[in-house]
Amino acid sequence: MGSVFLPHLRTGWHVDQAILSEEERLVVIRFGRDHDEQCMLMDELLYRIADRVKNFAVIYVCDNQEVPDFNKMYELYDPCTIMFFFRNKHMMCDFGTGNNNKLNWVLDDKQELIDIIEAIYKAAKKGRGLAISPKDYSTKYRY
Amino acid sequence: MFATPRRDFLNEQAPENYVAGLGRGATGFTTRSDIGPAREGPSEDAIKEALAKRAEALQNGNASDDDDEERFRDNENDEGLFASGAYDEEDEEADKIYSEVDERMDSRRKARREAREKREQEEFDSKNPKVSKQFADLTRALSTVTDEQWASIPEVGDLTGKNRRDRKMMQSERRFYAVPDSVLTSGRGQTTYENSVNPEDGTASTVDGTITDFRQISQAKDKMLGMRLDQAGTDSVIGSTNIDPKGYLTSLSSSSTSTGVDAANLSKHRELLLSVVKADPKHANGWIAIAKLEEQNNKMSSARKFIQQGCENCPKNEDVWLESMRLNDTNHAKVIASKAVQHLPKSVNIWMEAMRLESETANKKRVIRKALENIPQSVTLWKEAVNLEENPNDAKILLSRATSLIPLSVELWIALAKLETADNARKVLNKARQAVRTSHEVWVEAAKLEEKEGNIKKVEMVISRGISELQRRGGMLDREGWILEAEKCEQDGSVATCQAIIHTTLGFGLDGEDQESIWLDDGARSLRKGCFETARAIYAYALQHLPNVIAFWNEAITLEKAHGTSDSLFSLLEKAVESCPGTKELWLRYAEERLAASDVNGARSVLERAFDHNPNDEDIWLAAVDIEVRNNEYEKARILLSQARAGAPTERVWVKSVVLERQLKNLEGALQIVNLALQDFPKSAKLWMMKGQIYESEDRIPQAREAYISGTKVCPKSIPLWLLLSHLEESTIVKCRSVLERAALANPKNPQLWLQRIRVEIRAKNINQAKALIAIALQECPTSGAIWAESVALEPRTQRKPRLIDALKKCDNDSIVIAAIAKLFWSERKPDKAKSWFEKAIKADSDNGDHWAYLYKLLQTHGTKDELDHLVQKFLVANPKHGDVWPRVFKDVNNFQKSKPELLEMAAKAVTL
Repeated sequence: MGSVFLPHLRTGWHVDQAILSEEERLVVIRFGRDHDEQCMLMDELLYRIADRVKNFAVIYVCDNQEVPDFNKMYELYDPCTIMFFFRNKHMMCDFGTGNNNKLNWVLDDKQELIDIIEAIYKAAKKGRGLAISPKDYSTKYRY
Repeated sequence: MFATPRRDFLNEQAPENYVAGLGRGATGFTTRSDIGPAREGPSEDAIKEALAKRAEALQNGNASDDDDEERFRDNENDEGLFASGAYDEEDEEADKIYSEVDERMDSRRKARREAREKREQEEFDSKNPKVSKQFADLTRALSTVTDEQWASIPEVGDLTGKNRRDRKMMQSERRFYAVPDSVLTSGRGQTTYENSVNPEDGTASTVDGTITDFRQISQAKDKMLGMRLDQAGTDSVIGSTNIDPKGYLTSLSSSSTSTGVDAANLSKHRELLLSVVKADPKHANGWIAIAKLEEQNNKMSSARKFIQQGCENCPKNEDVWLESMRLNDTNHAKVIASKAVQHLPKSVNIWMEAMRLESETANKKRVIRKALENIPQSVTLWKEAVNLEENPNDAKILLSRATSLIPLSVELWIALAKLETADNARKVLNKARQAVRTSHEVWVEAAKLEEKEGNIKKVEMVISRGISELQRRGGMLDREGWILEAEKCEQDGSVATCQAIIHTTLGFGLDGEDQESIWLDDGARSLRKGCFETARAIYAYALQHLPNVIAFWNEAITLEKAHGTSDSLFSLLEKAVESCPGTKELWLRYAEERLAASDVNGARSVLERAFDHNPNDEDIWLAAVDIEVRNNEYEKARILLSQARAGAPTERVWVKSVVLERQLKNLEGALQIVNLALQDFPKSAKLWMMKGQIYESEDRIPQAREAYISGTKVCPKSIPLWLLLSHLEESTIVKCRSVLERAALANPKNPQLWLQRIRVEIRAKNINQAKALIAIALQECPTSGAIWAESVALEPRTQRKPRLIDALKKCDNDSIVIAAIAKLFWSERKPDKAKSWFEKAIKADSDNGDHWAYLYKLLQTHGTKDELDHLVQKFLVANPKHGDVWPRVFKDVNNFQKSKPELLEMAAKAVTL
């Protein structure tokens, strides 16, 4: 039930503002339906780490049915997708899955998620567009 | 709130018509094309929608401050305003009206305007005058200048230096530079004809800067020649050729036999031949050659056409007709044959060919009779005719006719004689003899006839008469010719004639000195041809004339032994010993043959007779002893030996005596004899050896050692003696070593001694010492197969084969090394290979009994009974005497009176891998 506590972005403008307004921290947006099973699990996880990463990341959730503007642009076809932005730049991360643009599966370990966010933040601070995931997920998610 | 954004946008309302992502310039991405369409930024629909909403808002009169397009439009250029409209009649009319208005406006106040324009122009001109107009007043004065004045105007000096610059330019253009050689040569190469000469390796000679390339010249000559030859091949179609047709044809016939001539060559040949036959149509070979060429090309029809033309052109040439017959099928050939016969009635070949074309005998006969009518002198035709007759009587008639027509043909006479009965044959041969007085065949035939009739005595007579006659008339063959005749007679089964010929002719034209060697050669040659009767006759004749030459006796005896009966052999031997009683070889051989025929008494008597003629000869003594021993008459043998010792006290006799005593286990007696013998022959190593061995067998080691040592003192060069001594001392290795070292000192570079030293070390398990010794031994005796084999045995298994190959090379295929290879194969369980290598070893050295023993052992386990028997047979023939194990076995006194196969079996047991 973590989504209740996470800030929701109701329109495309809010999404844009959320991305634009943050200058120093990583913007983590979860696209998906609040009532989706995977999203619920993910939100729970996000909620639990939100406080721990608050110094370098901010976490939003966005119902991609309510805000369909980005579905095509960001290929939001999965039930649950997490995307990262930093200073109005889409951050990519090499998870080893073949899709560096987003995190579209459910993690079950808090530390893993923290590590990913931290790795992307570090890369972003160094001016890179692509971060390397601390763990390779190719064995778990085979396309 | 976890996130604390700077602006509290979350609580603000989103603006109307906001296009998501547009405000921040968001761009999308395409991860995979099958997931969704690739879109950049906000979607088109979204933008359109936004625009529509905005337009709606404008109509509501909200805001219009951003009408960019209207604002920045170019006011002057309004063509775009109605550019989209069509140009119709109304527009045309309007344009016309406008142009009329312009015209009208132009015509108004025209004069005044032009005047004004002119005035303005003048004003402008006066203000900005031209250069020529400025100097007009000055130049006007020039009109008064006269021609002289013009001519006398002085030249201006070169104030600006222009002339000097021009001169410099001229000079620089005239300047030349030497062109480099490379440019020249490359320029030459571009224009000249490339003639395939490689200038790199051309032998150019440079004299005074001029280059003469002789190679180039000669190559050019070759090229020209080749071109002319090529032209000769192609141009000669016109008719004139400058090639010698005969020479070319012969070369062609030799080359055209090969079928793999390529197509280009064929066409060239054909053209050339065409030109040949055109140039000289009477030349038959040209026609034949071209027909053959076509035939090779599988163009039978054109071949036939050519050969037909040939026949027409050269009807007198036999070859053309024959070729024509060959190329056509039988029916056509017959027609051609009849034509040919018309043109060439005297050609035997054509008649024969025509006869061959007929399939039925009757037709053949007809043809041949016709031929004989035309050519009654042809022997071939007559023969053919006779051959065609099945009935002997007809044949006889034919032959008698033939002989009357061709009395000089010996063949026909002989053929007739063969057909006739004996009496008539004699008559025929007599007639023949009168007709052909120089023919030896007739005489030989007559002799054969007599032999067939059973008049053996007459044979000799006929031959001798014939030879005297031939000598008188000429036509006498030489010796070799007669021998050949004799051999022919033998092959025909006329042995008496053969012998008679040899008898009468062998001594022909020979000097007394060469006789022996020539006759030996003759005999050997005949033997090689398998003509035993001839050889026998030759030897018989030779022995008759030279009964004292042992070589003839030996040869004759060998011949009889191989190809004659035992009676003839014995009679020959008897004759031999009678004629050469002083030759003990013949006696011994005689005795041996007697013994081989298991006629012991006969052998004894032979030897007794031998004693009469050669008293006190040790060989005969020993042979007699041998006979007695073989027949287990030991007492007799002893007596004989004691007689021999008294009569012919040679070393061999003594040794033989001792050996006999030892074999009979009479060691005391043997010792006595040895001691006696050593008084007479103190330098005999064999006697010393035997003495030692006798002591050894009696287990009297100190005495044996003493005997050996004293033996080695007297005969330091006797290797077996040293070896025996070393064997005796082998219980104490140090002594043994010292003995062998002494031996080596006395006999340097002796492989046997080295082998013994190595083996002693191996037996004493001093492998390192043995290896060191092998190394030294191989330096001293690098070609000793035995040492190499020993060294290989000490190598680890993997290195044996390369080492053996090395050894094989070094020792020049030593049999012991070959045997070692065989043993290696055997140990690797390859009995087939081992067998073949043992056989090779035996072939290399059949005198080494060890190889036989090894092969016997191998075949015992891996071979068949037949193979074993075969091996034993070969072994008996080879009768080996040497080796490592074998002499020990067959000289062992315990193995006395054992047969050779038994000994071989024992040896096979004794040998080890």
